[in-house]
Amino acid sequence: MKKMTDNRPLSPHLSIHKKVLTAVFSIFHRISGIGLSIGALLISIWFFLISSGPEFYNYFEILSKSILFKLVLMIWTIGIFYHLFNGCRKLYWSFGIGMELSQVYKSGYVVLFLTLISSLVVWYFA
Amino acid sequence: MAQFTLPANSKLTMGKTHQPKEPSKDPKQLAIYRWDPEDDKNPRIDNYEIDQEKCGPMVLDALMKIKNEIDPTLTFRRSCREGVCGSCAMNIDGVNTLACLKSMSEVKNEIKIYPLPHMRVVKDLVPDLSKAYEQLASIKPWLQRKKTNEEEKNSRDEKKQLPKDREKLDGKWECVLCFCCTTSCPSYWWNGDEYLGPAVLLQAARWVSDSRDSERKERLKAINDSLKLYRCHSIMNCTRSCPKGLNPAKEIAGLKKAIVTEL
Repeated sequence: MKKMTDNRPLSPHLSIHKKVLTAVFSIFHRISGIGLSIGALLISIWFFLISSGPEFYNYFEILSKSILFKLVLMIWTIGIFYHLFNGCRKLYWSFGIGMELSQVYKSGYVVLFLTLISSLVVWYFA
Repeated sequence: MAQFTLPANSKLTMGKTHQPKEPSKDPKQLAIYRWDPEDDKNPRIDNYEIDQEKCGPMVLDALMKIKNEIDPTLTFRRSCREGVCGSCAMNIDGVNTLACLKSMSEVKNEIKIYPLPHMRVVKDLVPDLSKAYEQLASIKPWLQRKKTNEEEKNSRDEKKQLPKDREKLDGKWECVLCFCCTTSCPSYWWNGDEYLGPAVLLQAARWVSDSRDSERKERLKAINDSLKLYRCHSIMNCTRSCPKGLNPAKEIAGLKKAIVTEL
């Protein structure tokens, strides 16, 4: 009997559960949060290069012109807006507001829409 | 640290394919998780085909048809077959629900059936719920009423409740404790040892909200814990999966709010 309960398998979870939107929004909130912390570090290094004197300014220019760095900045703006708007959504939830399933889905789409619009506006002016 | 992959003894293998004895007029394929405690093999996925013309409309009807006519070794829990007992909770087409309330027509292709996610499996589709039941007992799911004065101690009157107080229990008492919500919650997957999970917290909210209960504050204090309660990050999978249409996430938010404003 002991053996029978010892070798019980763990039922599959992540691999078989549908990627429901509720969970997808949540995991991207975390990913964008982690991404922003790392991004903030990179951006402060970028700014630090300007203030570090003429010999470093050269590196600043090279970095600023690189497409890869611009891409990182673009993703960073998406991250910051997603985290901001989804954070507001979570703040409302702290008060128990907007927690019906239909509202959760609607506000999720609103977050995506606002993130897209805000990022496009920033990229247009930058 | 959470383990995101399955342990070696839980990895899935391909199982048998049971060919239908005669061609089906309206065939439906089912892929079902199987694990037998009496051999040392890993869990496997068995494939079945049923004829929907000769079967009831729900996934539970298909399971019973398979057990009765194709493979009597298939093991699952069931009782009421109408969504009031909470026995037949399982993961169907990727989402936890009650097999008796899930219509086969809702699933376009093959119906994939697994036990409730991230639980120890007793056999086939039967998960071990003893930890979840222990957690339920820990929140004292019964009416507690301190008798403070002599009059109350001697009174044999029933404890009355106003309709407006009774309404506060709506959306809570309907829970059938199937644990679809708890086992859909990633937080519970990674922290199930400590985190109580949505089903148990919904019950906590049910007793906290009962006007006849005198231990509201004590109950709130008991769950005011970074692991027991605050592993809930409002992922909302619980509400997404509840087959009774309840909203555990909202009730948990209510508990958090009550703790902030009342304790």
